[in-house]
Amino acid sequence: MRSIGERSTDPGLLVLTSLAEGPKHGYAITLDVEGLAGVRLGPGTLYGALSRLEGQGLIEALPAEDRRRPYRLTGEGRTALSEHLQMLERVTHSGLVRLRAAGATS
Amino acid sequence: MTKRLAQIGLSLYPLAFRRRYGEEMRELLEKRPATFLTVLDVWRGALLAHVRPPAGIAEQLDPVDRVRASASGVLACWVAFAAAGAWFANTTEDGPFSVAGYRHILLSGSHEIVQVLAIAASLLVLAGAAPLVVAALAEARRRPALRLIVSLPPLAVLLFAGLTGLLAALAHGEHSQGPGTLGGLALIAWALAGLACGAVCVVASRRALFAAHVSRGPLLRAYACGTLLTAAMAMITLAVCLYAIALMVDSAHLAASANGPLQLISTSASLIVQMTVMAGATVLAWTSTGRGWNAAWQLRA
Repeated sequence: MRSIGERSTDPGLLVLTSLAEGPKHGYAITLDVEGLAGVRLGPGTLYGALSRLEGQGLIEALPAEDRRRPYRLTGEGRTALSEHLQMLERVTHSGLVRLRAAGATS
Repeated sequence: MTKRLAQIGLSLYPLAFRRRYGEEMRELLEKRPATFLTVLDVWRGALLAHVRPPAGIAEQLDPVDRVRASASGVLACWVAFAAAGAWFANTTEDGPFSVAGYRHILLSGSHEIVQVLAIAASLLVLAGAAPLVVAALAEARRRPALRLIVSLPPLAVLLFAGLTGLLAALAHGEHSQGPGTLGGLALIAWALAGLACGAVCVVASRRALFAAHVSRGPLLRAYACGTLLTAAMAMITLAVCLYAIALMVDSAHLAASANGPLQLISTSASLIVQMTVMAGATVLAWTSTGRGWNAAWQLRA
């Protein structure tokens, strides 16, 4: 599996998650990520992540609309995001189960 | 103010990155209010884009532009390197350092190596830049827009020469009245003006290089000179390291003596700062040379 990011607030992961519902340009991604995770991506961070993901073949640019250029997930990006989110879900589930079990015994 | 600083940060991204994402980033900056954190984010992004360029981004540029970017990158590094070198020369020019050099062959030897290599490096800059300057001047005669860009570096050099003359006159007056802080402050102002003039030279020559039509031969010669210049910078840095070590071991009192425009730091601290700047500039020049390598081979073929 390709490395998307180590943290749940990793810009790469947030961008991929934002693009999972359809193509978006940079400004729309920042607004979506802010609503989704409360993280405000600066232009340097956002385009650093977009360039990295594009270089890895996880997203692709669509034809420019005026000065904006929408991006969308590639098939590979969709698979990588799905695998990463499933892994996070397993970790989250296990963590919660363990916390509940620890709470019941203490 | 913060928006302007963020826009300056955008211009610091690598050329290929700017061509691919610059317009989109500019649009995003215009859409949202720029805070101090935005400025930091953009400047940090520019640094990361240089250190870890995204895969495939260099292919956005054709080989000619990649060699142009490489040559102008090495020139920018050389200007920073030369500033540190001038400080090194200023630090070690006094009589006690010459006397220490007579006693210790490592001190005199490394100092002479620095001087010889500095001359060789300056000649390499001239050899690499001269054909490009000629091409840019020839084109500037036909294109008025290029005239201003081409005239900026000589104007900056003339301005700096004038400031240097002024400082020399001031230093002469200070010597007759005894040392003071005025001379130190003037030296700091002179150094800052030198950096600003150097920045003007670098930016203007880069713009001229990209605006002018330059044939393959001069461009490849400039790249070859840039590669040799990078090697010379590395050797000078090593020689300065050797000098600093020999000075600290053999002449500890000189290494501990006050140095800098306001005599606030020791000579050894000055040398460490100089070595750091030189090493940083050499590494960046090496990176720039390395990135132009494939493009230079493509042009050569």
